[in-house]
Amino acid sequence: MPALPSFVPYLIHTLFPPWVRRPTEIGAEIMMTAAGAFIVYWLLKNKKLQWLWNEWLTTVDHKKIGIMYLVAAIIMLGRGGLDALMLRTNLAMPTLHFINASEYNEVFTTHGTIMVFFMAMPLIFALFNVVVPLQIGSRDVAFPRLNAISFWLFAFAAALFNLSFVVGGSPNAGWTAYPPLTELAFNHTVGENYYFVSLLMTGIGTTITGINFLVTILRMRAPGMTFMKMPLFTWATLNTSVLILFAFPPLTIALLESLLDRVAGTTFFGLAHGGMPMMYVNLFWLFGHPEVYILVLPAFGVFSEVVSTFSRKKLFGYPSMVLSMTAIMVLAYGTWVHHFFTMGAGPAVNVFFGLSTMLIAIPTGVKVFNWILTMWGGRLTFTTPMLYFLAMIPTFVIGGATGVMLGAVPADYQFHNSYFLVAHFHEVLIGGTVFGLLAGVYYWWPKMFGYKLNDHQGKWSFWLFAGGFWPTFIPQYWLGLEGMTRRMYTYPFGMGWHTLNVISTIGGLIMGAGFLVMVSNVLRSRLHREVDATGDPWDGRTLEWSIPSPAPEYNFAVIPTVDERDWWWEEKQRRQSGEKPAGPRPEDIRAIAIPKNTPVPILLGAAFFVGAFGLVFTWWPIALMGLAGVFGVLIYSWFQYDHYRILSAGEIRETEELLGRLGA
Amino acid sequence: MHGGDEQHETAIEPGFDFISPRFEEPKFPMHQVWGYAASLVLTFAALWMTVNRIMSPSVLLGVVLAMAVGQAALQLGVFMHVRESRGPAWHLVPLGLAFAIGIGLVGMSAWIMLFKSGVS
Repeated sequence: MPALPSFVPYLIHTLFPPWVRRPTEIGAEIMMTAAGAFIVYWLLKNKKLQWLWNEWLTTVDHKKIGIMYLVAAIIMLGRGGLDALMLRTNLAMPTLHFINASEYNEVFTTHGTIMVFFMAMPLIFALFNVVVPLQIGSRDVAFPRLNAISFWLFAFAAALFNLSFVVGGSPNAGWTAYPPLTELAFNHTVGENYYFVSLLMTGIGTTITGINFLVTILRMRAPGMTFMKMPLFTWATLNTSVLILFAFPPLTIALLESLLDRVAGTTFFGLAHGGMPMMYVNLFWLFGHPEVYILVLPAFGVFSEVVSTFSRKKLFGYPSMVLSMTAIMVLAYGTWVHHFFTMGAGPAVNVFFGLSTMLIAIPTGVKVFNWILTMWGGRLTFTTPMLYFLAMIPTFVIGGATGVMLGAVPADYQFHNSYFLVAHFHEVLIGGTVFGLLAGVYYWWPKMFGYKLNDHQGKWSFWLFAGGFWPTFIPQYWLGLEGMTRRMYTYPFGMGWHTLNVISTIGGLIMGAGFLVMVSNVLRSRLHREVDATGDPWDGRTLEWSIPSPAPEYNFAVIPTVDERDWWWEEKQRRQSGEKPAGPRPEDIRAIAIPKNTPVPILLGAAFFVGAFGLVFTWWPIALMGLAGVFGVLIYSWFQYDHYRILSAGEIRETEELLGRLGA
Repeated sequence: MHGGDEQHETAIEPGFDFISPRFEEPKFPMHQVWGYAASLVLTFAALWMTVNRIMSPSVLLGVVLAMAVGQAALQLGVFMHVRESRGPAWHLVPLGLAFAIGIGLVGMSAWIMLFKSGVS
């Protein structure tokens, strides 16, 4: 047998070290390869490659980009949830070694990172993309091509991060990646490189998205839509974009310097040569606290739309809603130290940030009361999104109150890094963000696809998910008070933690069942879809419901002039009373320039992926190839002059006529 | 094509002169050439001073920081067309806010990291 060339064993050893050759990893490898092979086979068999390329991979249409974000986020929710169930299974019984300590480290790291960066963020961007341009009466976002670049950077970063599980090894220093746990001397696998590189990549995309939606909302609103006539979800997007703009630079610096510590021999955060590990913590939370509000403000926006629509009432206290949201946005920058009170920065610093933390509960309380008062005297319909809203109120109030408890500095020394904290942030992140985003997905699903998700199954999924939530996380408060700390992979008998952990694990399994019902609902609703021809299945109030579902590629045949806060609600009254024609008049329709598809975003993402992969393994030639690829794609894009195609007025009239939208 | 009808539609209140519309005529970008050269000088001077340790670390830190702020101002003024606008230059207001937030964050970080316990 001829000897193998020497690089083959080296490659095998580097790419597939022993810690990715355990049964879980090999199982995942087989599943991923099989799924990939099946998708390629299906595409080839049905001759769908051209369709995929033209309709999806090269699109710059914000509605399609939103749908791609949504699909990616649901897949990532599945993986993050599977991680969570592995963690909960390991903790169900004392000394149960379902997975070992190092695997446990990897799983809680990927669980946290995926849920924050690759599930919640893309789900938020899915809603931004699908909703905001329609809600402000715009034909697209300000920079459609940059929007696609954002998506592909995220998508390739997510792929890279997930690849770590089967190639080279997963990151294992927690989603916060504190030094010295991440320093090369203590952590020699490539896992943390994957973490830093993929987060840097998706961070570029996120920053671009923030800029894009900031400009879109500031510059592209329909005539007459003043700031105080903007729907609340648009306000939430505006505030979130500002938060993104200022929160991501510190993260970028922290990640980049940590990466340099690992691949270039610097010691920004190592203890040797005067590095400052706590500076990483400071920079991380300088990002991390605004990030919390980046995650929750869009959910607040969704709830404001949902509660108003399903109470058939104007939102109560609109100006105070806007003011409180903006106050949260500003205050969010002033509370980050409460994540590391125990660093010991001294009483003055800690008290300042303890007070600012408690202060932020005030505008949040204003919002909760306004939502409740919106329901007061309204005619409520209990659809799935409305149920998520109702479930949010108690969870978020308790989660918020325990947050204030954590903000009390002396008490925090006790709560810090205990299960009390774990219970608190899951309660606000699931009870606030995930409930909100799921409500948004159910609410705007008909706008994206032209049919509703089945409400009956949606309610099953809701009761399992929101019902499983309470037994999962409420016992964790007690576990924390009884001394169980975060990130411990097992515990001995006799600690008194057994019963509460069993309850928590059972709750987690119920939530998992809720997720499965949701996925089956998505599939079954697609198979048995009842097409909604009205474009307004919920009797909505804002601009997006005034156009057909799914919206035609130009969105609005004629851009409406907005004169009221709930413009579409008022317009419907006017149309019913015959004051206004029931649709755009044919003579008002003009030709529209539509941005053309371009392969630049996906190629740029792929080039970044190659470069990032090289960086992870510090294979510099491959990293340089990726960099050359990035420049190559950019140079190619400079010589693309013809960005638009013209949709003639005749074509638009025909489309509108087919949709039955033309007014007399 | 710039200027013209946009200019007289907005009368700027006295005291807000800094946002009044202005637009530079395109000509050979001598400004930018000088700005680029000055940026390079500032960058390499900082690097040279640090590598050769020509003064004590704390003084050096101050000098490099001052040069960094200078360069940021230079780049904003020269390359980012910061005062140019066809309408009122409203972007100057959020820009000021951004500076306030930035300086606040840096200042507070310095305050936080001044602690003298044995953690770091």
